Amino acid sequence: MKIGVFVCHCGTNIEGTVDTAAVAEAAREFPGVVFATDTMYACSEPGQDEIIEAIKEHKLDGVVVASCTPRMHEPTFRKTLERAGLNRYLFEMANIREHVSWIGRDREANTNKSVDLVRMAAAKLLNNKPLHAKYFDMNKRVMIVGGGVAGIQAALDCADGGLEVILVEKTSSIGGKMAKLDKTFPTVDCSSCILGPRMVDVAQHPNITLYACAEIEEVNGYVGNFSVKVKRKATYVDWDKCTGCGICMEKCPSKKADNPFDEELGKTTAINIPFPQAIPKKAVIDPNFCIKIKRDKCGVCAKVCPSDAIVYDQVDEFVVEEVGAVVAATGFDLVDWTVYGEYGGGQYPDVITSLQYERMLSASGPTEGHIKRPSDGKEPKNVVFIQCVGSRDKSIGRPYCSGFCCMYTAKQAILTKDHCPDSQSYVFYMDIRSPGKMFDEFTRRAQEEYNARYIRGRVSMIYPKGDKLVVRGADTLMGDQVEVDADLVVLAVGAESAHGASDLAKKLRISYDAYGFFMEGHPKLKPVETNTAGVFLAGSCQGPKDIPSSVAQGSAAAAKVLAMFAKDQLESDPAVSVVDIKRCIGCGKCISTCPFGAIKEVDFRGQPKAEVIETICQGCGICTATCPQGAIQLQHFTDNQILAEVNAVCRF
Amino acid sequence: MKNLEDLKKQIKDGLSELDVVIGWTDSFDPLHATPHFMRSEADVDKLKVDALCVHNLATYLPSLKGKKVGIVVKGCDSRSVVELLQENLISREDVTIFGFGCSGVVDQVKIRRAVGEAGMVESCEVSGTEVKLTVAGKEHKLPMADVIADKCQTCRYPNAVLSDQFVGEEIKPTASFEDGYKDLEEFEAKSTEEKFTFWLGEMDRCIRCYACRNACPMCVCRDHCVAQSRDPHWLSQEAHVRDKWMFQVIHAYHLTGRCTECGECQRACPVDIPILLFKKKFNKEIKEVFNYEAGLDPEATPPLQTFKIDEPTIKEKEW
Repeated sequence: MKIGVFVCHCGTNIEGTVDTAAVAEAAREFPGVVFATDTMYACSEPGQDEIIEAIKEHKLDGVVVASCTPRMHEPTFRKTLERAGLNRYLFEMANIREHVSWIGRDREANTNKSVDLVRMAAAKLLNNKPLHAKYFDMNKRVMIVGGGVAGIQAALDCADGGLEVILVEKTSSIGGKMAKLDKTFPTVDCSSCILGPRMVDVAQHPNITLYACAEIEEVNGYVGNFSVKVKRKATYVDWDKCTGCGICMEKCPSKKADNPFDEELGKTTAINIPFPQAIPKKAVIDPNFCIKIKRDKCGVCAKVCPSDAIVYDQVDEFVVEEVGAVVAATGFDLVDWTVYGEYGGGQYPDVITSLQYERMLSASGPTEGHIKRPSDGKEPKNVVFIQCVGSRDKSIGRPYCSGFCCMYTAKQAILTKDHCPDSQSYVFYMDIRSPGKMFDEFTRRAQEEYNARYIRGRVSMIYPKGDKLVVRGADTLMGDQVEVDADLVVLAVGAESAHGASDLAKKLRISYDAYGFFMEGHPKLKPVETNTAGVFLAGSCQGPKDIPSSVAQGSAAAAKVLAMFAKDQLESDPAVSVVDIKRCIGCGKCISTCPFGAIKEVDFRGQPKAEVIETICQGCGICTATCPQGAIQLQHFTDNQILAEVNAVCRF
Repeated sequence: MKNLEDLKKQIKDGLSELDVVIGWTDSFDPLHATPHFMRSEADVDKLKVDALCVHNLATYLPSLKGKKVGIVVKGCDSRSVVELLQENLISREDVTIFGFGCSGVVDQVKIRRAVGEAGMVESCEVSGTEVKLTVAGKEHKLPMADVIADKCQTCRYPNAVLSDQFVGEEIKPTASFEDGYKDLEEFEAKSTEEKFTFWLGEMDRCIRCYACRNACPMCVCRDHCVAQSRDPHWLSQEAHVRDKWMFQVIHAYHLTGRCTECGECQRACPVDIPILLFKKKFNKEIKEVFNYEAGLDPEATPPLQTFKIDEPTIKEKEW
């Protein structure tokens, strides 16, 4: 093999602490290397042309580029080789930027390490073989997990693009957190009025199948050919018959059921449709509160139901959907704020969360849009808002900014004045973060036109005095302590990943960060992709986002799915495991260690043998490490190739 | 062995169904036993089971795959059979296990040290408490406690853990898990330099005969052993301590979570290198990390031969 080595300066990124010319000079002595040079930017157009010219001039049949991480530019250089007529796997990359120049200042040591890394790359390249991708069909259907605004947008865009869409929602209605909101910032238009039509579009779209009250049970398969088992939870109502008339709710005698839609602000009936605009508008029985299910008495809903839809003995059902892509849009939940003793730890009824306040402000909420203190139902005069509750707080393990709380607090202060003109709002804040279109103007309006008093400082204590709550805090701008006699305290509770998100991540085989938010493929360049092919992200499951960002990501994820499905076939990565049938003794250890179920037992002339299903294999190499005979080898990372690298670096 | 006649009867009864039964018999001198392949009743009459029957016969099983094989096992040997079953290297229906309770086997190295290289052994009698032998006309009485193998002193599984026929009474084990690893702990307490010097000296004596590998019942790479493989070319044939040591480390790694501590590697070593220590180190780690011991439950999955996103014993999230 005739190897060419190109050592990249990356401007001064590498050249600053690595003598690239010396690395190239040393590389000329390595076995197989016939040409070596340093180059300013190997990835640039002229840089790539230089590689192509060198391949032709020196009749190279293998190329080593010493530059940045292969995650950045390996695909770039592989394409360069293909343009020059070489197989793309006759290419090796030595990472002398992230692994060398960025982490050390000693130019001599850095140069020596770079030489070693190039020597390893060249030694491996000598053992490389041309590999060829195969092509496989895909199932051009998409599953969207989560029916909040991001999931709705992704579903509608995919469906409008002609794809069959399966939308899976955990609760009994789509709409997510946005459906709970009263108004949206900074335009103060009605949240359900703008979301409602989109929800109806989902219900009416011929390409969308909606599974509400459903969760993902199991995900098998691979990009283009996922097989997803969906659990349809028992609702105890036959939804094919239910018309959503609501008579059952009126007559249900069990009126103390949990009310998650209203954030537990008030109770609801055991049989329930959470809100008037619910999609699907179908009743669901909460078995924990249904008198018939718990004690075999009552049965009122079955008697009054005009369409005979009640089924008390309904059980969970499972459906399997074959799809080619999955979009995770599982959103967020609120941090458990009751860990804060200074805010009463949950023992004062008149200290509520911002989301509870939204329900209170909403005309379809438990107070029908009137602001009433939970304790005595009186209209509050002084309303105190506390920001950053469970955000930017290392002490409870939530060091990040939830992003949208500053804005909705300003909105809530404005709405408070609208609802109760003689009220006074106080806002305790750390910093006001309003970097959006019309956002900063909006927070100024809350202060200047609606007279909300913004106090820069944290609250140290809330304690009851008579029928009021005394909020004691610091005003760091005045350098003074302040006390406010509050009638109602609203906590701007921060966002965390939706409960159960990490379980879903494991099923989808995507990674998640320390807070449970799903990891994107690249923080800048792949914000809606994941590192698992065919799985995309939308909305707050990736990190807290406001409505327009969530919608934009929903559309972006849909664009990615549509782009993938625009191809006729997908290309498989040939860097997968291959079994040498002569060596295989059929012990099956590879089958039991494979995390992806990519290896099956086959019969070969009466002998059991292992066989890799190429499209499922992810190239992790666990089987290679497990096989006692060395019969299963990961292509492009064979024992011989790795041993060549080890021998190149351990020369003694 | 008290119940030897019962065992012989059991084997004879089963012989018609079996191609071969593996046991032990007398060897070249009265102090040694040798593996014995029984195909007829006359062969069975030559069966011998006592403290001289050191060999782990499970080593032969993978190469007899496909045949109906009977095997006589001590407690430690039975663990190797179980491990082979777990790894799908032999099939349960082809193997008939004749188990018994073992009260320990001798360590020939200890006897040799006590007696000296005095030439031919003329007679040898083994009882529960002593080994009486005549060498070059001189009689030696060695208390069993002085010549019993180290592994038997801390044995926790003297009875066959899996058997189709069990002869005699079960023996009550007395040692604890910790007892078995005291030698390892003592060794690990030494300084890195001391340990390195020790192994450098020991490994330098290795003659690369690979008797350790050949005696090991769990060495299943066979034709593709790293010691001889040319593709990939893992080890050079250079007589350098580096390659000798490398082989032992790879051997120990390959046995992680699989080694049943039968001690055959160390027993087979003609230059007495204490290589069982490597394997004990990994077994102790496996016990600590996965709470698992090899070769006890045929239904269990060895921890390194499966993939779990969440290991029940590793609380990654709490790190």
